Amino acid sequence: MDPPTGDQPVPGGEGASAAPFSALPTPRSITWRAWLGSPIALLPLALVAAIVIVLLYASELKNFGWSFWSFNYLFDPLTDSGSFGVGIFAAGSAITATLALILAGLLSLAIAISLTVYLPPIASRPLTILTNLLAGIPSVVYGIWGYVILAPYFGSTLEPTLQNVIGFIPGFGGTRVDTAGGTGLLLAIFILTIMVIPLTTAIMRESLRNVPRDLVEAGLALGATQWEVTRQVRLKVARGGLWGALFLGFGRAIGEAVAVAMVIGASIQIPSTIYGGSTTIASFIFYQLDSAFTYPSLLQALVEYALILLAIAVIVNVVGQRATHSDTIAAATGGV
Amino acid sequence: MTNDSIVQGAPMRHRGGRRIGLGVTIAVAVILLAAGLGGGYVLGGSHGASSGATKYTLLETGSTLIFPYMNILGPKFTSLYPNIQISPQATGSGTGISSAEAGTVDLGGTDAYLLPSVAANYSLINVPIAISAQLAVYNIPGITTHLNLNGTVLSMIYSEKITKWNDPLIQAANPGVALPDQTIVPLHRSDGSGDTFMWTSMMYMSWSGWTGGYGTTYSWMANQKGYEGNAGMVSGLESTPYGLAYIGISYLSEIQADSSLQYAALGDEAAIVNGTNPANYVLPSAQNISEDANLALKNLQPPSVAISLILGGVPGATDLKLGAGGTLPTAQYPTPYPDTNLEYILISTHPANPSKQTWVVNFLEWAMTFGASYATQVNFLPLTPTVVGYNIQALGGVNVSA
Repeated sequence: MDPPTGDQPVPGGEGASAAPFSALPTPRSITWRAWLGSPIALLPLALVAAIVIVLLYASELKNFGWSFWSFNYLFDPLTDSGSFGVGIFAAGSAITATLALILAGLLSLAIAISLTVYLPPIASRPLTILTNLLAGIPSVVYGIWGYVILAPYFGSTLEPTLQNVIGFIPGFGGTRVDTAGGTGLLLAIFILTIMVIPLTTAIMRESLRNVPRDLVEAGLALGATQWEVTRQVRLKVARGGLWGALFLGFGRAIGEAVAVAMVIGASIQIPSTIYGGSTTIASFIFYQLDSAFTYPSLLQALVEYALILLAIAVIVNVVGQRATHSDTIAAATGGV
Repeated sequence: MTNDSIVQGAPMRHRGGRRIGLGVTIAVAVILLAAGLGGGYVLGGSHGASSGATKYTLLETGSTLIFPYMNILGPKFTSLYPNIQISPQATGSGTGISSAEAGTVDLGGTDAYLLPSVAANYSLINVPIAISAQLAVYNIPGITTHLNLNGTVLSMIYSEKITKWNDPLIQAANPGVALPDQTIVPLHRSDGSGDTFMWTSMMYMSWSGWTGGYGTTYSWMANQKGYEGNAGMVSGLESTPYGLAYIGISYLSEIQADSSLQYAALGDEAAIVNGTNPANYVLPSAQNISEDANLALKNLQPPSVAISLILGGVPGATDLKLGAGGTLPTAQYPTPYPDTNLEYILISTHPANPSKQTWVVNFLEWAMTFGASYATQVNFLPLTPTVVGYNIQALGGVNVSA
């Protein structure tokens, strides 16, 4: 994303990444692979288009008016009507995803720097495998772990202790009602942080690893310490990838439905404390989907929530991919 | 996108390791697949040999309240008819209804009847299989007795008009009990739930201040936390001191297994209908539940079996929309337990596979007659003869193969 400021001319984004591939031999004729492959390559595009079309069709684009963008959610199942404000759920999503990302971002950066700069390969290799392993655990497993093991501990021990110790900080106080059962924002953020760390760590690690060796060695030759080189060279060259990791991590956190639904407490509110129950867009869809088949207008509202999530996912992923890509360009051109 | 991003920048030296990992994964997958196929073949073979009839697995999903009952009925039916397996799932009544509508299951279990007009759109019929009840369960440290609560008080608690356990209205119903000066923490179901339907129905009928109607989903007060399924409510309440929850009676043994949980006696209908203080409080005993069911079923309008038994039912109503209130106890049925319900199975009248549907009908007819003796194992009650009669009549309209 950042315009390279090096003295050599920098080609545009596509040109730079395409350059190495132009050297490959071009296929002489259209093989069966190409015949078969081309339509299959278009499959993802067709799938995304199909999802959007089906969602638009299912929602019948019912106009809920301005109340849809409000913080007022009140559904009356008797009359199958009500106010379907997305505000509370959007806020829940934003709070959990952002806080989880701040925590995960800091931890991932520390892990990635340790793995690439400081630890010898004998230590960093198994740790790399372990962080990758964390990424492969299905989200529902995190959810069950949070719900069965962590929630009782959070509710009975950790959260009351936090209330006693740092309760004077606004948002960390509250009563027994907020910590009841242990489910709530704090547990959701905790679970999301653990779920996001493997993804952000992997991208950050590879971005740091892709920093050209000559730049690092030049820095060291000038007498800089490892930490100074990391701060001045590695982090600057890799910043696109680091930002990309955050965006992709945000996409993962905001889209997570099952694990969050199991631990966030299913309250329709923006709680006044970090312990209180809340709901995100994704988990609310998860909670209500089965009932929604009985209540047509609720189903329409859920479909429109899904469209919002889809839009967020597209934006976040495009920005994230662009950012990691710009990092690859920077590395390829040697520009800082 | 995750894998792309990781692979994109992966150094070459890791590729070899990946290939070995991939090989191992494929080997394990092949072994598992072979084992699974082999197991299936062996099982299928033995069953095929033991009976000549076509084998069917009847899929049931929905109500977590019905789930323990189906788990008892299924194996009993299979022991009689080895070619039939019943595969029940506890997913909540909302899923039971939606899966039946979508036609992805043979039996859709629900505590809330599907409105006959809606059911007709999907060629579904409501088939009651048992009478159940719902408990108001609380976790109050220091109180191990059955508290007296009633619909009005519970409705005010869930509306947060009553917030403390020692509220004068609760204290008045429980003279002599040392109620704690603690905030009540009401729990609700996060999934689409027939228990939520029953509970909000009772709230709606018991107190004019209740807003938001009733249904398998409800817009709960902001600070109330939700739990998944009846089992989730039990475990959630265990870790919520001073909490209050609504839990289906088929989870009574789980509730009794935990000394911190206890269920309430509920005020009789007379109080609600007349707006007076309840004369007596009734526990969910078999006697009291059956009294309520009999009281309400007097109002049954043939041929529909879609009826709410809450508070003794509403006269002439197959749909609560027609009126709030309840039916007064009679001399014949003096102590009806108000939070009583019929458990429904939704089945299709025009199934894709009529010969399989024959077995669905067989199973239901067995379940409501001979199988009904197992109902008490999960604290359900067998249907009354009137309802069974209506059921047999309704099942006659199902398209089955001769």
